[in-house]
Amino acid sequence: MTQNNTVRILAIAPTARGFGYVVMEGPRRLIAFSNKSILKNKNERTLVWVEKFIRRYEPTVMVLPAVNAADTRRAKRIKQLHQRLVSLATKHKLKVKLITATKVRERLLGQIKGNKQLQAEVLAGLFPIELAPRLPPKRKVWKSEDPRMDIFDAAGLAVAFWPK
Amino acid sequence: MKSLPNYLQAQRKRLALSQEEVGFLLGLNGMNKGNKVCRDETFAREPSLLDALAYGVIYGRPVSELFAGLHHQAQQRVAERAKVLSFRKMRKTEPRRKQAIIQLAESASVNPNNP
Repeated sequence: MTQNNTVRILAIAPTARGFGYVVMEGPRRLIAFSNKSILKNKNERTLVWVEKFIRRYEPTVMVLPAVNAADTRRAKRIKQLHQRLVSLATKHKLKVKLITATKVRERLLGQIKGNKQLQAEVLAGLFPIELAPRLPPKRKVWKSEDPRMDIFDAAGLAVAFWPK
Repeated sequence: MKSLPNYLQAQRKRLALSQEEVGFLLGLNGMNKGNKVCRDETFAREPSLLDALAYGVIYGRPVSELFAGLHHQAQQRVAERAKVLSFRKMRKTEPRRKQAIIQLAESASVNPNNP
């Protein structure tokens, strides 16, 4: 797949509470980014939202996490959603690029080991105007993950899509 | 890659402004000032010329850059019409006029993507 600067991509990071999305035009231009919290019928509603984004932004490539990779353990629901997202992308004639968690870490941190907070901080540094204000504080061990982290999950996928 | 109709949302997020605040700056009235801005950003509505110019002032970018897709569309349409005009028989062959029409007709083919 040609990964040139004239491609618009839609990165979707499905999570337990909804999903995060990022639209990019080239490696340095963030067009849209946010997270959606969905409480009921998560897969169906996620698909409705993603279809809306496909129609609105007309991307060429959909970037998704490789949920079946050896370095990843995801819930059954997420795996089902992933399959349906791939079908949706095919329906809209989009190319699908799967990115593993290891590749994201390698791209952002330069090494295989690292945590999501470090990745988010690197992303906030790459996009100080857009993403830095959305960076959540470091998670306390007794607290749940901040929903804003979904944006950074999607942004990580989007950044890892482009060649270094 | 075809440009999006507008890049208002990206520019608003760059300045960390809310839709309500942008609505106020545009001089929109009523309780839901942010709604119109939202509709502009999601391409559900094309803003008036005055609003488009105000967006340019708020975000500090030329209107052609903010509304890149629409600008490109307008450019292409003008180029198509200019081609038709260039084929028409001219009563007076004014060289400046001929030059202007040729330039307009060629403008779409010179820069087919972003303006």
